[in-house]
Parts: sequence; C-alpha cells; structure tokens
Amino acid sequence: MGESVDAWFVRDILAHEAALMRFLHRNWRDHDEVSDLRQEIYVRVYESATRKFPDSPKSFLFTTARNLLTDRVRRQRIVSITAVGDLEQLHVLKDELEPDRWFSGREALARLARALDRLPDRCREVVWLRRVEDLPQKEIARRLGISEKTVEKHIAKGSRLMADHFHGIIDRDIPPGDRQGAHARIRKPT
Amino acid sequence: MTDDHRQIERDAALWLARRDAGGWDDRQQAALGAWLSETTAHRVAFLRLEATWDETARLHVLAAGVSHPQIPARGAWQGSPYFAPLLGDTGITASAPRHRMFRPTRARRWPLLASMAASLLAAVTIMGTLAWREVTHVDRGEWQTALGAQQVVHLADGSSATLGSASELSAALSRRERDLYLPRGEAFFDVAHDPARPFVVHVDGYHVIAVGTRFDVRHEGSGLRVVVTRGLVRLRSARDPQLAATDLPAGSVALVKGGAVSVQQVPLDEAREFLTWRDGYVVFHGTPLADAVQEFNRYNAHKIVLADPSLGSLRVGGNFRLDNSAGFVRLMQEIFPVHADSGSGDIVLSRRPGSHRK
Repeated sequence: MGESVDAWFVRDILAHEAALMRFLHRNWRDHDEVSDLRQEIYVRVYESATRKFPDSPKSFLFTTARNLLTDRVRRQRIVSITAVGDLEQLHVLKDELEPDRWFSGREALARLARALDRLPDRCREVVWLRRVEDLPQKEIARRLGISEKTVEKHIAKGSRLMADHFHGIIDRDIPPGDRQGAHARIRKPT
Repeated sequence: MTDDHRQIERDAALWLARRDAGGWDDRQQAALGAWLSETTAHRVAFLRLEATWDETARLHVLAAGVSHPQIPARGAWQGSPYFAPLLGDTGITASAPRHRMFRPTRARRWPLLASMAASLLAAVTIMGTLAWREVTHVDRGEWQTALGAQQVVHLADGSSATLGSASELSAALSRRERDLYLPRGEAFFDVAHDPARPFVVHVDGYHVIAVGTRFDVRHEGSGLRVVVTRGLVRLRSARDPQLAATDLPAGSVALVKGGAVSVQQVPLDEAREFLTWRDGYVVFHGTPLADAVQEFNRYNAHKIVLADPSLGSLRVGGNFRLDNSAGFVRLMQEIFPVHADSGSGDIVLSRRPGSHRK
C-alpha cells in the first residue's frame, strides 16, 4: 500500500479549499448550498482516490466540481441560466492557478487570527484558552465557571466555524481578478 | 440533503471536541473509527475539521512571551510583529499606525482610540462637505506600474481597473462623466453600470466609451488594441469626430494602427484569453515566436532577442507564466533547434548550429 487516502486527501485536496470555495461561490448562485456542494465533491474525490489516486489532484478536484455543478443544473428541471455564472467557462483555470499548498505559515496565522475574531464571544474565549493558552478543557470549564459539556460544545462549534472562516469565505466579496497586486484607492483632492 | 450534510458536520465536530477533551481511550477510538467507516461523508467531514483544528495550533505563538490575564479584544494582535503587512486589510484599525511592537496592554487600547478619533473626524468632515461635493466633486487619481508589475485600482464609482506591466493611468470622475487616460501600457476595465455618466478611456487619439462593461485596452508604440468581454464599447476617433464610431460588442478584438481600425469577432472564451495577463500568464495558440517573445518582453527587464529573424515564424502553443521567461526559453530550446545565450543580460535566441534546414 502507498500512503493513506486520508493523508493524501488532507494534503492534496483540502489544501485547495479556499480556491474551491471561491469557485463555487462564483458559479453557484445559491450560496446556502455551497457547503453542501463542497461536501459532495469531497465525497466523490475521496471515493475515487480509494480506487486510484488521480495524477493531478487539483485538476481532478475542479473537474469533479464542474461535473457536479453541471449535474445539478441538469437535474433541476427548469434550467435557469442565472443559476450558474458561465457554465462553459466556470472560471476553473483561474481557481486552479491559485497557490497549490496550505497557506504559508505567516499567512495561515493571519487568517487564523481573523477567523478566531469572527467567533461568537464565548466560543472565541474557549478556543483562545484551548489553542493559544493550551489549557485542557477541564481547566477551561473551571476557569470560566461553566460545565465541561458546555466547553466541549464550544470547541465543537469553534472547530466548524474556524474551518469555514479559515478557508477563504472571508474574501468572497472581493470580485474575481482583484486579489492580485496591490490595492489602490483613488486619491481625494486636498 | 443540505440538512444531512450539516448534521454530519455537527457530529464530526462533536467527535473532534470529545477527543480533544482528553481521557480518550481505545473503546472511544474504536467507536470513532466505526463512525468514520460508516460513510465517506463522515470521513471527509471529520478530516476537514481535524485538518483546520490542527492548523489552529499555530495560534499558540500569539501567546509567546505574554501572559494574558484576559483574552485580548478582537483585532488586538494587530500590532504583533507576526502580522505586520498581512492583517492590513481587516479594516479594524485601518487608520491606526501599525508599526508598533506588540505590547499587549497599552498597545491594545491605543489603536482603538486612534481609530475612533479618526472615524469621528471623518464623520464630521463628510457631513460638512457632502452637499458641496455632490455638485462639484471630482475624484482624481494617477497610477503607474513598474515593468512586470500589476496593480488593481478601485475607482470611486465602483469600477475597477487592472493595470498591466509598465502602464500609466489617470482618472477624473465627476458627476457628469468618467474620464480615464491611458498614455501607455495596458489596462483592463470592469465598469460599474451608470448610463448617466459615460466611462471614457482617452487613448492614442481615440475615445473608448463604455456604459457598463468589461474591456481591455492596450496602448503600445505600434498602436492600440481593445478587447471587449462583456457589454458594448464604442470606439471613436478623438481627433476627427466626423468619423463614424465603431461599436464593439462582447467578443470583439479591435486593432487600431495608423488610423485604420480592424475588428475581429471571436468567441468569448478566446477574447478572455487576451486578459489572462491579469492572472500572470499568457495563452498562445500557434502564435508566431516573434509575437510570443514580445509578450514576455512587455513584462521582463531581461529581453528575449531573436538573433535570427527566421526564428520568429516558429509557432508556439500553451499557457506560460509571464514572469518566467527563463522557463519559456528553456522550453523553446527543448522543442526547437534554438540556442539561448544570456551572457549579456538579455536572452539571445539563435539557430542551433547545423540546424539550417533550407
């Protein structure tokens, strides 16, 4: 046996989640469905990899995504042109060109700090104590005067929200094409 | 379907949190293993949360050398040297200086006060001048890019312009019109729809006029090129208003040379390939090497020179990174009978000895 599918999946597929999410947000109008689509894409990719690892994981991920969107549109009986941006184009190339790695250390840290700041107050407090100060859950419960069960729930919620926020949903309001290069703003006359 | 996926994610998060609680034994591990094996949906949901959770261990460095009696306020680590240029776009303390060292207690309050004061001042200023600005205000700006650089400019009307290598752009946006000037180089415009205010790019004696659309203008010594990827653009001679304007719908590639305008209609996908420079690459389809080389030279200080003009007619295809002319040259040497010499700084391509086929 080669390496495990799990390790492969984390390294070669999950690393592209930010790009994948941008792709889905850009090409699927109902943003509520995006995380559902993402999960289905992951299932398809993972199952396929248990049979054979694709040569180019990133291309395979985006091909799978594109196919899924096409399937979904076909399945909706009334095909709405506006449901997808540009089915032909699907902007895959651009997303595929995003850096194919987990974020660099510093960038990851900045994104994590931002993601942390978006957690609800109590949840943020718990995640801070657990991940920054490295306190055990039991100690956090004691310190905050809440039950261990409640701490556990905050950790669970925190892990979900951190995963969502970490992977680039944060940036979705930036129009495509604007992510590269410096941003400048028009100068105000004095 | 959707609820199902959300429930799976919640379950996966609970497994993760429970394991994180400590006191995890073999029996629990086995139970988790069984849950993971039930369906691939369980497994991928868990792997995803676990991967990010592992990643959050990096947050640990935020605690380095500092003891926190309380958990810092949101954005309080702005001053941390770990982040210097990276958190700049959070908007949380946009107006506060960010060069301080990370001093957790005092540094925490100061940016907040500074930004509050700044926004108060801004609010007063805006209220005072809003009425007057409404009538007479002109937003002006000028931008330049260096060779190989690229810059996205957000204009006050909501439009944006992406400047290519070695380009110059200025803008004057008033209530009546939007005037842009491109004395040299290339820019891609994504124009905010506003029929009341025409968006006019003044370039090389022409007006390129748009209402709400996307198009690219390239201005080089040899002429002007306009590529439209959405909407409609009108091209008009500024010198001779009597000349009929040319309407360019999406998919048009217009070339202007010596006062003559030629327009080619191409499929949209093909038109978009003219714009890939914004993503840092270029697409060639059977492109003459002479043209391909010129494309790289627009972006790189070390120019590629064809010592033998007959090389210029070799055809090149594929996608290439614009900043990697060395890679391009290496590839050329592999597939063509050419030899590269970069001794002088520029990269000189010549025919490999003995390869003359004529």
